[in-house]
Amino acid sequence: MVGLSEGEKHFIRGGIAQDLRADGRRRLQFRSVSVETGVIPQANGSARVRLGATEVIASVKAELGKPSILHPDKGKVSIFVDCSPTAAPMFEGRGSEELSTELSVALQRCLLGGKSGAGAVIDLSSLIVVDGKVCWDLYIDGLVISSDGNLLDALASAIKVALSDTGIPKVNVSLSAATDEEPEVDVSDEEFVQFDTSSVPVIVTLTKVGKDYIVDATSEEESQMSSAVSVSVNRHGKICGLTKRGGAGLDPSVIFDMISVAKHVSQQFLSLLDSEIASAEAAE
Amino acid sequence: MRQLKGEIGVVAKADGSALFEMGNTRVIAAVYGPREVQNKGQQVNSKEALVRCEYRMAEFSTGDRRRKPKGDRRSTEISLVIRQTMEASILTHLMPRSQIDIFVQVLQADGGTRSACINAATLALADAGIPMRDIVTSCSAGYLCSTPLLDLNYIEDSAGGPDVTVGILAKMDKVTLLQMDAKLPMDTFENVMELAIEGCKAIANYIREVLLENTKRLECQRG
Repeated sequence: MVGLSEGEKHFIRGGIAQDLRADGRRRLQFRSVSVETGVIPQANGSARVRLGATEVIASVKAELGKPSILHPDKGKVSIFVDCSPTAAPMFEGRGSEELSTELSVALQRCLLGGKSGAGAVIDLSSLIVVDGKVCWDLYIDGLVISSDGNLLDALASAIKVALSDTGIPKVNVSLSAATDEEPEVDVSDEEFVQFDTSSVPVIVTLTKVGKDYIVDATSEEESQMSSAVSVSVNRHGKICGLTKRGGAGLDPSVIFDMISVAKHVSQQFLSLLDSEIASAEAAE
Repeated sequence: MRQLKGEIGVVAKADGSALFEMGNTRVIAAVYGPREVQNKGQQVNSKEALVRCEYRMAEFSTGDRRRKPKGDRRSTEISLVIRQTMEASILTHLMPRSQIDIFVQVLQADGGTRSACINAATLALADAGIPMRDIVTSCSAGYLCSTPLLDLNYIEDSAGGPDVTVGILAKMDKVTLLQMDAKLPMDTFENVMELAIEGCKAIANYIREVLLENTKRLECQRG
């Protein structure tokens, strides 16, 4: 937990009111972002994202599975987040479960769309190998290694980078004569298919401290928040999901204001992330 | 021996942290403490520091992805092994009524996670400035096709041969950890263990280099 004295709390709140935060940033300025791809060789795609002192890893693993009976023409994607106790001693044992679930659910809401899979950021029908029989199951795992606030934004950008790094092996299907039989599949080791990740959104969390709101809050600033709104926005400026946290109520007009600010900030963040992805891929 | 890599200070908020790689096995260790005992019920001896350890594997660390419940028996056993090994080297009597937490997170598992965790924990403890008797290092060795092998990876480990994991206090030449599965003739065991101890010493040399490098860097920063 963050232990702050009265003086420190006052300093943080006063700084935010004057548009100069404790680490010298403006209210709508992100910390420095660093991106690395391919950090987990066993996975199909992986990325490490550092946002100041916050560090997260996302990995994407693809396994062959069976599509559900309700949606035989769609693959499956699932997202799980785990908070490592290395990030904070309070995540020891079962201590991280609550936060992990909160983060997983928020990410699922922003990235996976509705129950039917409509509106998901990845085209689920592209994961189908044989209609109704074989599909790819995508497992997206997030791991928080070091935590200094704004975990949701960091995780969402790590997932975006990991998806752009992901290659799904090409599959050759040899159709057997009897249609009831399980089709034989031959997974290629050399050829990979990449996803179109241009529509994968990023999440921008606006944290309200006092009268003003800030982006990319550190854990000290988060301890002073009254409420926070996480908006996920894609490249076309469309809103893909919305989560409000914190107890204090917000006036609807403030929320609309926050959404439009988040939309503006997210476009800058997306371009920043895209250039980081390009340089990370070039470095590999 | 596989390629080693050690890096200090990977977790900003921890008192001490380190990343350690042995080939494809990669672990992160973070140390919090010495600090006040959080749960007074766990304090057994108020004259010595309480050392705690938790070992966790990332969902994506193994080849096949599977969800395991937290705190399964294997993790609990390894946590215990690491705790006992590290406790042997920490000067606990210097820090009465306090607690030291060691958390190890496996990012990639390719055999020898136990050893890698102990080596990472040593680096992290040194980074946190916790007084220790000596550097503890660990390495495993096996015996396959009538040849002793050092530092087994996952495939070699699953081949079913014996696997000896040794942890030593490098300078004092004392064994603090010894585990073996499967059977091995007495005279071969001696050879395999000798090999593992040699491996431990090589790791100890590497860890000293990393620590020296880190101290030099800190010195430069202070000017």
